Amino acid sequence: MNRRQFLFSGLALGASGSLLLAGWQFSLNPDEDNRGWVLSAILPALLYGALPEDATLAQAALQRSKAAVIDFTAFLPLSQQQQLDQLFNLLANRLSQLALTGHITALPALSITARLGLLNSWRDSYLLILQQAYHSLRELLYGVFYGQPQHWQQLNYTAPEFR
Amino acid sequence: MVDHINAALFSSDQQFDADIVIIGSGAGGGIAAEQLTLAGFNVLLLEEGAWYTRDDFVMQERWAYPNLYQEGAARKTRDQAIGILQGRTVGGSTTVNWTTSIRTPQPTLAYWQSEFGLTFQAENNLNPFFTKVEQRLNIQPWPVPPNMNNARLQQGCEALGWHYSVISRNVNGCANLGYCGMGCPINAKQSMLVSTIPAAMANGARLISRISVRKLRWQGERVTSVDAVPVDQYFQPRSDVRITITAKHYIVAAGAIGSPALLLRSKVPDPSGRLGKHTYLHPSVISGALFDEAVNGHSGAPQSVYSDQFVWPADNNLAGYKLEVPPLHPVLMATKIIGSGSQHAAMMQQFNHLQATIALLRDGFHPQSQGGSVMLDQHQQPVLDYPITDYLWHGMRRALLSMAELQFAAGARQVLPIHHDANLYSSWAETKAAIAQLPMQILRQTIVSAHVMGGCNMSSSAQRGVVDPYGRHNQLSNLSVFDGSVLPTSLGVNPQLTIYALVWRNCEQLITELSH
Repeated sequence: MNRRQFLFSGLALGASGSLLLAGWQFSLNPDEDNRGWVLSAILPALLYGALPEDATLAQAALQRSKAAVIDFTAFLPLSQQQQLDQLFNLLANRLSQLALTGHITALPALSITARLGLLNSWRDSYLLILQQAYHSLRELLYGVFYGQPQHWQQLNYTAPEFR
Repeated sequence: MVDHINAALFSSDQQFDADIVIIGSGAGGGIAAEQLTLAGFNVLLLEEGAWYTRDDFVMQERWAYPNLYQEGAARKTRDQAIGILQGRTVGGSTTVNWTTSIRTPQPTLAYWQSEFGLTFQAENNLNPFFTKVEQRLNIQPWPVPPNMNNARLQQGCEALGWHYSVISRNVNGCANLGYCGMGCPINAKQSMLVSTIPAAMANGARLISRISVRKLRWQGERVTSVDAVPVDQYFQPRSDVRITITAKHYIVAAGAIGSPALLLRSKVPDPSGRLGKHTYLHPSVISGALFDEAVNGHSGAPQSVYSDQFVWPADNNLAGYKLEVPPLHPVLMATKIIGSGSQHAAMMQQFNHLQATIALLRDGFHPQSQGGSVMLDQHQQPVLDYPITDYLWHGMRRALLSMAELQFAAGARQVLPIHHDANLYSSWAETKAAIAQLPMQILRQTIVSAHVMGGCNMSSSAQRGVVDPYGRHNQLSNLSVFDGSVLPTSLGVNPQLTIYALVWRNCEQLITELSH
């Protein structure tokens, strides 16, 4: 466990005050359910204004982006993958989520504005670890969303086709 | 097509032997492979990335970044303050760079002479090698009018009376597409992938791709073998197959992060204490500008004009910076543009109207700019720690000011310094006042790099360097380092041409030494 992973764990542990969580919440291993659950909550907030207004189209865009996250993160160094997985695991647990966000309400139950507000509060946090979490999620999620040709219409951009 | 060996297909342990093994196929390894093969040596070239060709280059970031770049183009410094674009594919960064080819500036060479005893004057000057490389890779001033992204840089310079120059590019038959960063789909870019590497292979060199070199084994003053493993489909090192390679001479050319990391893993002697130290990045800041007319920064040669107005300030206590522009593609823009939610979406909708200018800081020329350090993580993979000093922060603030002034002079409607506390500003006066107040801190100020240099620096004195002036390792007699890691400072220009010329020269010296 390197210093950064220790900080993440220590932060959640200290603030939640519960050693009972230690068994799984510090896990660096991928958990598809946790990742999917957290992405379903965060993506609509970060992408507010970018997702199609039509609910069915928006849902398809979210699904594409979630799949692209999985495709892309496999190429990251293992240490970065572990940090991301740990962040997803922590956010998927109500108590450690409280520690990281100040909200006991499950992420999906918060309004879009509140979800965006808490991400932005990480950006402005005095804790480097939360600033890093904000930037890594932001870059990852905007990268995968705007990497999809289906999402370029609003940019008025099409890639050249010459083959 | 010449055949090559894909290590990912190995299912049992392997052994190879060669006269010379070259670890890394980028600017250094590519030039060395051709020169050494032409001199009659049996060359084995190793590359961690995959061998892709023009048909694979589909001009989409979502394919290019994970498949052609280190860490999916998401490589960061240890504190995550600086994003690093670096290639990892056959041809290395030359396969994905933006083709800018500029000779090493004289003041940089003069600094190396005074600080590191490196003489590139008189009969030692690099000009004959620049000429050879320029002929080999068809490097010429770009004859086509610049795209609008570059034209705005030129117009701003003209309006302010600032220096600017047309960029020379290593292209042949370029169709002005603008997708150099995703691999050239028409083989116009004269990267190592389409020039020296196929030429070397046609003359008998062997290429193994998807192989990660983990360790050099050494004894006394000599390297005895190389330990390597295949990588999996995500370029992660595997542990089920071992590859052993022996050679008479070993050349490390894995780039300025990869080469020091390999030597650190190998625990080679380091009496100077400089191995993996003094790594330079040309740390760069970005300024966005909205224009009424379309810019379409995704289209056309990505870099065709630069300005050296600020790169060599008279006061050496000020950091110098070079002004260039980056190409603008959806993922590059989306990941760098500031804000979130509807604010981010609104900026993205201005995609075709955004001009971007970058300022590349010339690091390594001041006591407060001693660069970063390569270290190894728990998986033995490299991590670069790069502290940012007040000298650099001050330079970045000045750079943001210069870029905003330039963009307004070129007719920008609004300017957006890429800093997480900045906004769109509508006048130069307003921008100037705002930039003066921006907190210069990591993860507030966005910083990027596409040039990694140093970490195995050359020097005339073994006390001040890892390698000698010809790239020979100071302690291990049959080891050379032939890549950007030998540079003792940053360059103040995009590094590919310097690396090509330096390695060509070092190859001629090595051939002479190995031939008697």
